[in-house]
Amino acid sequence: MLNEWFKTKKPHKLPPRTQAASTAAAPRKYDAIVVGAGPSGASAACFMARDGLDVLLLERGPFPGAKTCGGAAVIAEQIHELFPNFWEECRYERIVTRLDYWWLNDDSAVTAGFTSGRLAAAPYNRLSVKRKNFYSWLAAKAVSAGATLLLGHTVDDVLLDHGRTVGVHVSPPQNTTFLADIVILADGANSLLAERAGLNSSVTAKNLSLYAKETIALPPETIEERFNLPPGQGAAIGLIGYPTAGFNGTGSIHLFRDGVNINAGMSVSDFAAGGFGPGDLLERIKKHPRIQPLLAGGVTAEYGAAMIPEGGYHAIPPLVHPGLLIAGDAASLVNGTQGINLAMWSGFYAAKAAFEAKKSRDFSARKLSLYRTLLDESFILQNMRANAKAAALQRDRPYLFDLYSRMANEAAYQMARAYPMPMNAKRKFIWHKVTSLQPVGKIAADLWQVLKVVKG
Amino acid sequence: MTSTAAKVSLIEFRPDDDWQHIVIADQEECRRCPDKNCLRVCPAGVFAWDNHPGHPVLVRYKQCVECGACRLACPQGAIEFSYPRGGYGVVFHQG
Repeated sequence: MLNEWFKTKKPHKLPPRTQAASTAAAPRKYDAIVVGAGPSGASAACFMARDGLDVLLLERGPFPGAKTCGGAAVIAEQIHELFPNFWEECRYERIVTRLDYWWLNDDSAVTAGFTSGRLAAAPYNRLSVKRKNFYSWLAAKAVSAGATLLLGHTVDDVLLDHGRTVGVHVSPPQNTTFLADIVILADGANSLLAERAGLNSSVTAKNLSLYAKETIALPPETIEERFNLPPGQGAAIGLIGYPTAGFNGTGSIHLFRDGVNINAGMSVSDFAAGGFGPGDLLERIKKHPRIQPLLAGGVTAEYGAAMIPEGGYHAIPPLVHPGLLIAGDAASLVNGTQGINLAMWSGFYAAKAAFEAKKSRDFSARKLSLYRTLLDESFILQNMRANAKAAALQRDRPYLFDLYSRMANEAAYQMARAYPMPMNAKRKFIWHKVTSLQPVGKIAADLWQVLKVVKG
Repeated sequence: MTSTAAKVSLIEFRPDDDWQHIVIADQEECRRCPDKNCLRVCPAGVFAWDNHPGHPVLVRYKQCVECGACRLACPQGAIEFSYPRGGYGVVFHQG
């Protein structure tokens, strides 16, 4: 119900501010300051500005998207709800019509996938994007709605007054202060601001995953030929097992117009335990006999790395504080392959809560908790709750991805071979081969745990 | 392309010559540290050590990609990571 409440409400604009006589020394005061012009921050700024608030959007990069990387496919239908027909304005790379999962072993792959021309019609299912293009488009939406965007501004502190957030401090070279009634922190996975202010203790080596990516340039025709796709269409391929060298982690391949984006990663604590880095995983996966031919002849265009919060529902920090809201990656709102769209919706809900607070001039945590309520009722937190036990399952059974992709490959290999033996004996032989990797009782226990997570 | 150094050379950086955003406040911690996770976990090879006991761990902060993993991976909590000043640091173009 509440979810629909703001839609049915009459549009209500705040009266334009009368410009106060400016005193040179006093820092400029805004209705709201958003830290970080990523998908959650720019969405929050855009919807607050549309509601008539005076919004300042601060970004530390020279353009939005400069500070983060990784192949990305956005879930178009969910973004279409916020920004109708956004694909007409924003440069996307390819329409994803093929979704694959590959369980890899040392030299083989068991694959499952879905390809359909139906996914190529609007509203598209997924669109692959370059972060720079997508984030810049989104920030431009915020600016055209009236928000002020300042680039190259690194916020290093949140200003508090009697426990209530009243503004932010920007580090040198600007070395300045901005004041606001509401601050929305959308400063990404490694949210130092929330941590420094004592608001987030879930940024740990277990909850954060580190991914390295490489963009390999290839001509569009070569990409379409190798991945068996019609012109303009793309694929998102999840890679499980081999890429993460025995740990629970994932790799993925996303296709750009003229490049392949390949990445791999797992939790920072697993890297520390394993004694290698994400760059090593990336090299390993690029040499895999099923993957190497896909990349052959390509030229590396860019390398990079970024962290993603993968602690799941239980790693979400308190999101509402007096005068302050936390959104997007900083709020740990990442669910499997969904991140950008969850970030944008959390920014939208934060904007709605900020607007209600501004109308009643009440910036207390109680008033702003509308944000948490909206999130709770939305698909964002409901989906994350449904997946809540997945992170713990992966931690408790760190062998799952590797072992079961090994077993799937072994079973498939033995089935593919034809032995000079009777069918019944072959079935027994395969059964023994597979159960020699993991005893039947343990397989059943693992299956039971996985079912418990899926059932919620 | 396989070496980290070669791959890092492809990334655009706007280095800050006047201020270092990653510091090891106390090298004594590093001398005692048996794991030195930073040397391997960092995707950009920011941390370097010449394998001589007693020598300091170098911080080549100008090639940092700002992921922030070093701080979490350091068992001693000795790495002080903050973001570069406005306008400096890594610039990604390829998504």
